[in-house]
Amino acid sequence: MPVDVSGGGLATVEKYYQDYGSRARELKKQGRQIMGYLCAFTPVEIIAAAGFVPFRIKGDVNEPITKADTEMETIVCPLVRSCFDMALKGKYEFLEGIVIPHACDSISRTYDVWKYTLNLPYSHLIDMPHSTDEPSFNFYKAILGTFRESLSKFTGKEISDQGLNQAISLYNQNRAKVRELYELRRTSPPLISGAEVAKLLIAAVSIPVEEANQLIDSVIEEVKQRSGVPEAKPARIMVVGAQVDDVAFINLIEDSGAWVVADDLCPGAREFFDDVDVTADPIDGIAERYLRKIKCGRTFREKKGDYEDYLEERFGHIGRFIKGFKVDGVVLYIYKYCDPYGFDVPAMKSYIESVGAPVLYLEDEYSMSTIGRLRTRIQAFLELLG
Amino acid sequence: MTDEKKPEERKPRKHATEAAGKIGPMVKAALKENLQAKEEGKPIAYSFIFSGYDEIIRAMDIVPAWTENYAGILGVKRDAQRFLEKAESENFSRSLCTYALCGLGFDSWREELGEMPPDPPWGGQARPTVMLGSGQIICDPRYKWYQAVQHYMPDVPVYVGGLPYPPYEDDYDYRDVQDYYVKYIVEETRGLVEFLEKHTNRKMDWDRLSEVVDISDRTWNMISEAYDLRRAVPCPMGTGDAMNTMVPMTFMMGTQEAYDFFKDLYDELQLKIANKEGVIPDEKYRLLWGGGLPSWFALTDFNYFNSKGAVFPAEVTYRLVEPVYKLDLPKVSDPLEHLAWRWVKYWAYRHDKARKRPGSNPDVERLIEYIEEYKIDGVVMHEAFSCRSWHPGLIWQLNQLKRVYRDIPSLILESDIVDISSYNEADTKARIDAFIDTLEAVKSR
Repeated sequence: MPVDVSGGGLATVEKYYQDYGSRARELKKQGRQIMGYLCAFTPVEIIAAAGFVPFRIKGDVNEPITKADTEMETIVCPLVRSCFDMALKGKYEFLEGIVIPHACDSISRTYDVWKYTLNLPYSHLIDMPHSTDEPSFNFYKAILGTFRESLSKFTGKEISDQGLNQAISLYNQNRAKVRELYELRRTSPPLISGAEVAKLLIAAVSIPVEEANQLIDSVIEEVKQRSGVPEAKPARIMVVGAQVDDVAFINLIEDSGAWVVADDLCPGAREFFDDVDVTADPIDGIAERYLRKIKCGRTFREKKGDYEDYLEERFGHIGRFIKGFKVDGVVLYIYKYCDPYGFDVPAMKSYIESVGAPVLYLEDEYSMSTIGRLRTRIQAFLELLG
Repeated sequence: MTDEKKPEERKPRKHATEAAGKIGPMVKAALKENLQAKEEGKPIAYSFIFSGYDEIIRAMDIVPAWTENYAGILGVKRDAQRFLEKAESENFSRSLCTYALCGLGFDSWREELGEMPPDPPWGGQARPTVMLGSGQIICDPRYKWYQAVQHYMPDVPVYVGGLPYPPYEDDYDYRDVQDYYVKYIVEETRGLVEFLEKHTNRKMDWDRLSEVVDISDRTWNMISEAYDLRRAVPCPMGTGDAMNTMVPMTFMMGTQEAYDFFKDLYDELQLKIANKEGVIPDEKYRLLWGGGLPSWFALTDFNYFNSKGAVFPAEVTYRLVEPVYKLDLPKVSDPLEHLAWRWVKYWAYRHDKARKRPGSNPDVERLIEYIEEYKIDGVVMHEAFSCRSWHPGLIWQLNQLKRVYRDIPSLILESDIVDISSYNEADTKARIDAFIDTLEAVKSR
């Protein structure tokens, strides 16, 4: 079914962003099955090929965490706690099940809490390795095979290679469209704001991929046809962090006199830029993308060559964004209790500075009350950039 | 940085067993061995406990430096703050694993000075030849910490081998996947051997490895048998002492010394049982330490429990072995394959049991098992704010325990493993007092 963009793609994005999950709720009423998942490391192609609508569970920075603390420790990543809190409050009552990848401790060590507390008909933990060597790759393929079988058993239908290839093709189209969208940010001033991009990508992970593709097309078209030149702002900022599924922080930067023109975030470039290669066994391509292509602190890459080469291997994609999108400064936006990113800060900061971009490192707690407190530091950083 | 801060002097904790009293000198000796190895040019490996490759390191005559242990020592000696602050000054968040922060603070400081940081407890930690992490659903710092250390010691190579274990799931049995888990672990541990041969100039002696594995299997059995004796009433050894006796279990596995230690402990506990000698003379409440690493700077809290008539006959924390003969291991000739099977079967040990009780899982099942076997009256846990490996899920486990088994008094203490700024002694004691009141009320019903 085509997505309704009669009021304009951006208006549809706003609707899906503000009422997150509304489209999934509609689809559920129409008989579709919705499979919830956490994190960019869930191979959505397999879920889609099984006939589900993959639905990214998000938190809400405006909603105080009240229910989650009765089952989940406050030392868990605040984003994960917020996601769980929203689920407990019935925000995602339409889910048929939940898929959780072994991304980080906060996600995987709480799997049982999610599984037993939500008590959904289906749940599965994808035991993804941290290393990327050949044995890890083969192990991960076996893990994906187990996941594929598990979903097949649940639906009673085999997930065929053909189905997987179709899903891969749709998601690769999706990624190509996002890369095209990001092209609109290269100009000065950018044709689309950071907040608009963030809302679109957040909305996109809550609807079927076919609809997301139409939505992105319509937004690109609408933005290209927008009359008038966007406001000139003195600084072009890149934001780097884990999962930022709310525009509050991006808004804070853009309201302080800068454009956010690039990111290494989820949902964002990290999640959308890399394709699944077309391979004889589709699981090969999926495994390669999720284990080796996505650059995230949760994946360990072995040091080869000297330390500078190692930093380039881990953070070179950030350097390429800085250059390609003419970034003036980078904000490292890291959540408290985030081990995969927290341990990377000194190395990442040093790399980014080595390619000539000043860095502002901020630690936050995924809450509107704490985000607001960062305003002064952002303003001071932007002043420094001149 | 507050390098002038002097650690607060503390009296040593009172032990119930002679075995626990031997630990301090053992740890000191291990650190001394480390520093001596450095002087003699022997290879030193930064290592994590419970990473499945103790036997490999021992068989290759590589000196392990247990970095979590050194952070724990800083905690016990209440001297962690200056290293935490050093790490913080390097832009590491104070919310990260404080073992890792202590290590990063220490290493970055040592690299900056070109020598040990001032007054390092027990001589400090020697610069390693290699650093050995692991990737597993246990702990993110196991693959992040040493990678972060490389920022200060880029010349020291890091190995991170995958060490997974099958999750407990409803729709498949671990036996359906165990073969590919074992295959992967064997490949990764073989990769470790190749890595160590390349970077340390040591060759693996496979016969020696088989011997070491045999010693560690026997040690697993001996630990299990010794700890099972704690079921006795009165209980001859509590968790406070087990937080000491974890040292040979986790830092010396695969050595004859570790086996002998637990044999001595077994004999000592037998004797105490024969003499009806308990941790405390008048045992009123038997408690289970149901999860969470201890606050190393506040181990005397166990004595405080004792002073209220409470003992801890069992703990989940650092009971990292099961009797090998109960694990149903296949007979294999390759010692690496044996280690891989032991690892997978250890983790799957309570899967079948959990499946028989709807709503249970292996962690909850373990609590139930200990509650029944050790005649437990209440469960105490500790939520260390900086550790997301052993602590997420504890609240749920307690809730689920009550849902699928029975209501039982419980207490979750909150603090940290080494960061003393998170600890409030008066508040902790007040919470323990209130918990004791609850236990008393339940007993008198």
